[in-house]
Amino acid sequence: MRKLCLLLIVGMLSLFGLGVALTAELDVWSSPDNADALYELAQDFMKQHPEVKVKVTPLSWEVLYPRILQDISIKSGTFDVATWDLMTAGAIAPGFLDLEAFAEANPELVDPDFDDDDFLPTAKHVYGYWQDKRIGYPFYGAAMFFFYRKDLFEDEALRANFKAEYGKELKVPKSWEEAKDIAKFFTKKFNPDSPTEYGISLMFPRTHTLFYMYLNFFGPYRRSPSGVEKFGEVDLDWGDYFTADYQPAFNSEEGVKAIQDMIDLMEYSPDPLGSDYGETLEYFAKGMVAMVPQWTACLASWEGAPDLQPVSDKVGIALMPGGAPVSGGWGIGINDASNNKVEAFQFIQYATSREADKFQWLKYRVGPVRQSVIMDPEVLADSPWLVEAYLPSIEGASHRPRIPEEARLEDILVGTISEILLGQRPNTIETLNLVAEDWIRHLEK
Amino acid sequence: MPTKRGSRKKAAFFMILPLLVLFIGLTVYPFAYMIYMSFHDYSLVSWEEPKFVGLENYREIFRDRTARSSVTFTVILLVAAVPLEILLGIGIAFLFRDTLGEKVFRSSLLIPMTIPPVVAGIAWKMLYNYEFGPVNYFLSLFDLPKVSWLGSQFFAQLGVILIDVWQWTPFVFLIIYAGLQSIPRDIVEASLVDGASGWNALRYIELPLIQPLIWVALIIRVIDVLKIFDIVYMVTFGGPGSATHSYSFYIYKVGVSFGWDIGYASALSIILLLVITLLANFLIKALRLKEILEL
Repeated sequence: MRKLCLLLIVGMLSLFGLGVALTAELDVWSSPDNADALYELAQDFMKQHPEVKVKVTPLSWEVLYPRILQDISIKSGTFDVATWDLMTAGAIAPGFLDLEAFAEANPELVDPDFDDDDFLPTAKHVYGYWQDKRIGYPFYGAAMFFFYRKDLFEDEALRANFKAEYGKELKVPKSWEEAKDIAKFFTKKFNPDSPTEYGISLMFPRTHTLFYMYLNFFGPYRRSPSGVEKFGEVDLDWGDYFTADYQPAFNSEEGVKAIQDMIDLMEYSPDPLGSDYGETLEYFAKGMVAMVPQWTACLASWEGAPDLQPVSDKVGIALMPGGAPVSGGWGIGINDASNNKVEAFQFIQYATSREADKFQWLKYRVGPVRQSVIMDPEVLADSPWLVEAYLPSIEGASHRPRIPEEARLEDILVGTISEILLGQRPNTIETLNLVAEDWIRHLEK
Repeated sequence: MPTKRGSRKKAAFFMILPLLVLFIGLTVYPFAYMIYMSFHDYSLVSWEEPKFVGLENYREIFRDRTARSSVTFTVILLVAAVPLEILLGIGIAFLFRDTLGEKVFRSSLLIPMTIPPVVAGIAWKMLYNYEFGPVNYFLSLFDLPKVSWLGSQFFAQLGVILIDVWQWTPFVFLIIYAGLQSIPRDIVEASLVDGASGWNALRYIELPLIQPLIWVALIIRVIDVLKIFDIVYMVTFGGPGSATHSYSFYIYKVGVSFGWDIGYASALSIILLLVITLLANFLIKALRLKEILEL
């Protein structure tokens, strides 16, 4: 009996000891595209902070966003840290900790080497702020890029054929108008000698994909000098779909032209209305198409594609035609209802530090958000295109609205554009006016 | 002094109490809350308290173009898929009854029904792939052109109908087949001895005997089709345009994935519930199921 009591006491003391040693357990929710990187960073962080246990839970976008919203609505504090998609900034902002206020109140926690000014200016806002509230640190920079078959664009015979037919050089398109000619040239239906079946792989399904794809076409009009004169400067919270005074901008001649560009390119693409992310990646990976607008994450999936080997010789990366690709990306922030704010703050500083940013890019292709990392010699040797394509893409990107109503507005516009592309509705300002009216009605609600 | 009957009643009450609490907590309360919310403007992303708006959410349904197109596709599905499933289910049950390999066939026919709709959706999305999908490959064997199964209005709708028929015909088959097994063989045999042809025995004896089961299968399938969500979510996401936008899928979008508009989604759900209840009751009355099944 005495032995049993002794054992119990020793056991309880050990547990108590463990409890003292482990001061916090951080629950980190992350999207799958950045979970692997975050997991490895968490392991390193735990080595430096043995008193903190970090548990990274990957959740798909469809699950992550609703769960964040539900949790912050009821303030249950189920998670401590979460990565958030830039579009959700307005919706989640009330439930996330104001990092600037927290840092001011706890100066001893601020890492002196953190260097907040090192973040790319646009990234710092779109992945960090909602209006004036600092709800996160930039974690994953992303924009869409224009991937093309470098070997085909450099092929002398193809270049000569293209010049003979179009009277100009075959080069990476700088505008969607140029892209149309090149896409036609690489489509077997129009050019039986084309080495690829189709010119370009487009994804225009009736999902959120269409909302961002449209911006790749509308952005260049919206951001052109005449567009800025007509619609005003772009507000980083309301995005390119709106004018400077927060009215819809797409129900305009420019909005119609952008849809027409999409329609014109559709005949050079395999099943554009039925394809989404996975399909377009596969068409390019199998060597069926010459060009594809895509996110940076696709690079990793092409590394092992037999038809694209060696990737460095066959895959070229350029700025999106028109020069205003749609932005993506993630910030990382702290739940206002978290009981472990101190540890969470230390962790997100670590996860967004210069070292972490560099490591994430080199190992996991999680887009860098720090200027010093993009200019780092080791990084540039690995990815020279960061300067010529990545930097201008992030800084000159078109943005979707980051306001709380974004999701509803997205569904309304996507429905109509999809019907226009399908030929069910005319591509006119009148059609787009109906969408704009719906948007205004929802915003006023 | 409490009677024996009284204490038994008390004991019975306490025994069902946990279940009652669960039922009230998980069914009655959420349902009542949904009705309450349907008269309110409440969005999870607005960070404001629910605001009473009376019938405004219900009025909005009639103004909402997407809600109208969702109803259209749901009706198309109802009219095209359900009769096909019933006819095929009956046909297959009769065709393969008492045939060689019946057991093997019966088991394999039930496979589509046992596959989770999400998994079935992923599989069908691959089957329908424009360039690499087996369906288009099959068509090419007959020199038929490739079909954009997910990118054209007609074929996307046809695609969803085919998936529903593929997955749920086995359910109808199962019900009818079980009914056929329960028909006493001597009645059929007696009719054959009396000179009835096989067709007449089927038409005048077997079909009337399994008729109540056909109606039950019909009602269950009607209710299920009105709620179709998973296949649409996985395969077409409602597109292209609004071609395959089912009503339940729209409720999901408004309430969860695109709108967080709990008030409006509640109103849409109440309407769906009313339609299902009225339609089911109408069918039960019209088909005289109460009398037939002695309910």
